Amino acid sequence: MAEEVPAAAASSYIPYVHSQTLTPHAHAVSSVKFSPDGRLLASASGDQTIRTYSINPNDGVNPIAEPAQVFSGHDSGISDVAFSSDARFIVSASDDKTLKLWDAETGSPIKTLRGHTNYVFCATFNPQSNMVASGSFDETVRIWDVTTGKCLKVLPAHSDPVTAVDFNRDGSLIVSSSYDGLCRVWDSGTGHCVKTLMDDEKNPPVSFVRFSPNGKFILVGTLDNTLRLWNISSAKYIKTYSGHANSQYSVSSAFSVTNGKRIVSGSEDKCVYMWELNSRKLLQKLEGHTEPVMSVACHPTENMIASGSLDKSIRIWAQKK
Amino acid sequence: MNAPIIDPLQGDFPEVIEEYLEHGVIKCVAFNHRGSLLAAGCADGSCVIWDFETRGIAKELRDNDCAAAITSVSWSKYGHRLLVSAADKSLTLWDVSTGEKIARTTLQQTPLHARLNPGLTSPSLCLACPLSSAPMIVDFEIGCTTLLPVYVPEMMPDVLLAPQQRSKCSESGPPFSPAAACFNKCGDLVYVGNAKGEILIVDYKSVKVLALVPVSGGSAVKNIVFSRNGKYLLTNSHDRIIRIYENLLPAKDVLRSLEDLGKNVDGGVDGVEKLKAVGSKCLTLFREFQDLVTKMHWKAPCFSGDGEWVVGGSACKGEHKIYIWDRAGHLVKILEGPKEALIDLAWHPVHPVIVSVSLTGLVYIWAKDYTENWSAFAPDFKELEENEEYVEREDEFDLMPETGKVKVSSVNEDEEVDIETVEKDAFSDSDMSVEELRYLPAEPIPDTNEEQDELKLIEARISASPASEEAGQNGHVADHTPSPLGEMGETRGKRKRKPSEKAMELQAEKAKSSKASGRTVREKSRAVGDQEIVDSVNGDDEDDVDAYY
Repeated sequence: MAEEVPAAAASSYIPYVHSQTLTPHAHAVSSVKFSPDGRLLASASGDQTIRTYSINPNDGVNPIAEPAQVFSGHDSGISDVAFSSDARFIVSASDDKTLKLWDAETGSPIKTLRGHTNYVFCATFNPQSNMVASGSFDETVRIWDVTTGKCLKVLPAHSDPVTAVDFNRDGSLIVSSSYDGLCRVWDSGTGHCVKTLMDDEKNPPVSFVRFSPNGKFILVGTLDNTLRLWNISSAKYIKTYSGHANSQYSVSSAFSVTNGKRIVSGSEDKCVYMWELNSRKLLQKLEGHTEPVMSVACHPTENMIASGSLDKSIRIWAQKK
Repeated sequence: MNAPIIDPLQGDFPEVIEEYLEHGVIKCVAFNHRGSLLAAGCADGSCVIWDFETRGIAKELRDNDCAAAITSVSWSKYGHRLLVSAADKSLTLWDVSTGEKIARTTLQQTPLHARLNPGLTSPSLCLACPLSSAPMIVDFEIGCTTLLPVYVPEMMPDVLLAPQQRSKCSESGPPFSPAAACFNKCGDLVYVGNAKGEILIVDYKSVKVLALVPVSGGSAVKNIVFSRNGKYLLTNSHDRIIRIYENLLPAKDVLRSLEDLGKNVDGGVDGVEKLKAVGSKCLTLFREFQDLVTKMHWKAPCFSGDGEWVVGGSACKGEHKIYIWDRAGHLVKILEGPKEALIDLAWHPVHPVIVSVSLTGLVYIWAKDYTENWSAFAPDFKELEENEEYVEREDEFDLMPETGKVKVSSVNEDEEVDIETVEKDAFSDSDMSVEELRYLPAEPIPDTNEEQDELKLIEARISASPASEEAGQNGHVADHTPSPLGEMGETRGKRKRKPSEKAMELQAEKAKSSKASGRTVREKSRAVGDQEIVDSVNGDDEDDVDAYY
């Protein structure tokens, strides 16, 4: 099911193959995430539920992912889900304008975070997992205290819906992206804007942003079918990745560092794309989904990718053993 | 790591009260190594640890045996343990992450000040300064206390050895003036400041005085504190002067250096003179700070995290003044708080933040008065210090139709990019072999059912639409409040008259309306033009979306 794009230097590249398809959801899957310890996979869907799966090692015999828990309680579809660093809690961002904190093991809701005045689109824990940052269609980014559920700060982030938020490695910075074409970097302690990054001429809506593992670069996905890697301090982009389709939806991408440095992204042409980070060569296109692939996640330690699509399914891809 | 991006030009000391923390009546505060947690001791014997980032309570340490006011709190180097001294003469050692008591011991007198050895990772050794006797080393594991020498008698040829093992020390000198003491940075030496105005450098393991530094003026030393990097020592004396000394001893292997110094001193000199000679090689007076106008006593002086600033609180009752000097000796700021006496002060190890405790038990957080950095909001905006004359190019405003601005991408995309290596943390000390306890895991407090209903009712009342009261009928709140901005909001608000008809109205509305709105969950499509989004009510709307699209 996987097609390998021939490339000169790919002789050492072991292609990923489709390993498993899960179709537990009744509507499109909007987001998939692996827990930081790699034991769980979570998926969020428009059917108002989140599901977790426990991840078993890829021994080629047993299925990798087994359904674990179902989290229901939201009144509308869910756009994003994230694990806390110790994988004990899950936060979900929903169209019912709230975020919910859940206990990952038992599936029970713990807290509801209210304050946004429009759909909450994205959410993430900070590495210390004492704060949650969320971005919403109400054009703000909010920082919440996990213990009390209070909204600690409201950042007047953008002039269009905020499409993605991410913390850096030590939790001191937050990056946010929006359809207004800007990416802004904020100091998470004071809530003040530190930098704004923008593509000068074209200014396409930014659908996704994420910090690199060392926090010096950000991976920016824009609705002109391009992914760029920006250097934050110089405010210039240094790599461009293209070949995929992304002009309508908020497709997410990820860094894959377990097996050579790669960029993995979903695409509206129903495939998962993988590029080599430095050479920008397209390494592989994973085919199998029947609808645009909205979200991809890379396992923190194993060579495993999970993808969620509008076709309501989640597919797990692993390297051929 | 973010040093290059954050503006380095902002001054480094706080200016205004940002917030205050309250939890009973606080008596003393201490930051952990990174400043991510703030421990505070209360008047009722309990300790509370705040998560300084969220300003929420992370942990409470309560000991049922101890109901007396806490006199001091002290963190271990990596933040795993907390030492608490209380007015009932006890010292308690807590394990921070579990919140359990590790050890507890009772002394002969109330310790005013207790400090854990900063050199050990899991210290069970601490320095306690009681109200009216010599400072002592308390070892929790062995369970013994060792009194440290406070005076060096003039006549003795040899160095005085203080009696050991739980006996009261019979030293000369006034019995009631407390001596101040502190560990040096690596914890092998104790610097004792006594009532005669001398600093003694003591090796606590052998209980020997290794050097003596007389403080000019000869008045009793009330506080003695090291800077975080161990390079500077501060003494607060009864003559209302704060003195800064530069530490000449090397950071490592201090004992050996002192021994060598001792040997190098001239042969003829002996006893006290010898100690003084050695002492002069250990510390040199750097600066003196005093307020010549008001001649006030100082309380709780300390260094800033980087050692650049010295801060001291005014000990006058009825005023809450904090003086900040730079190390060169200039008074840079006086912070004035509410009219309550100041009882404790701490400077954040990393950020320009000061925490002060007032007599009423409130903890005030002083931070910089931030002026928004507007240039951060626009990517190519450059702030100028003063007006610059702009001279335009000859052809700047010429219209050149043929040459469209084809900006050739001058980016060399083939360069290697490293996304993984992280620079060493500027604030970590030399050896980080032990995992530091930086944060206490956050435990979300579950919402109770009453809270949920209450919040929903409040939401219902707040929402702009007049029909919101009836929303409760459906069993859940139908939030049809559009965002307050924008023209569409009001028209839509008027259309929604009754919640029971809302679903039908929405369908009709969507069929009519030609404006695409980015409201669907599944597609996450881009909001074209109109920002006002009809709020989704319940799941069955999703079927409508199919028809809509």
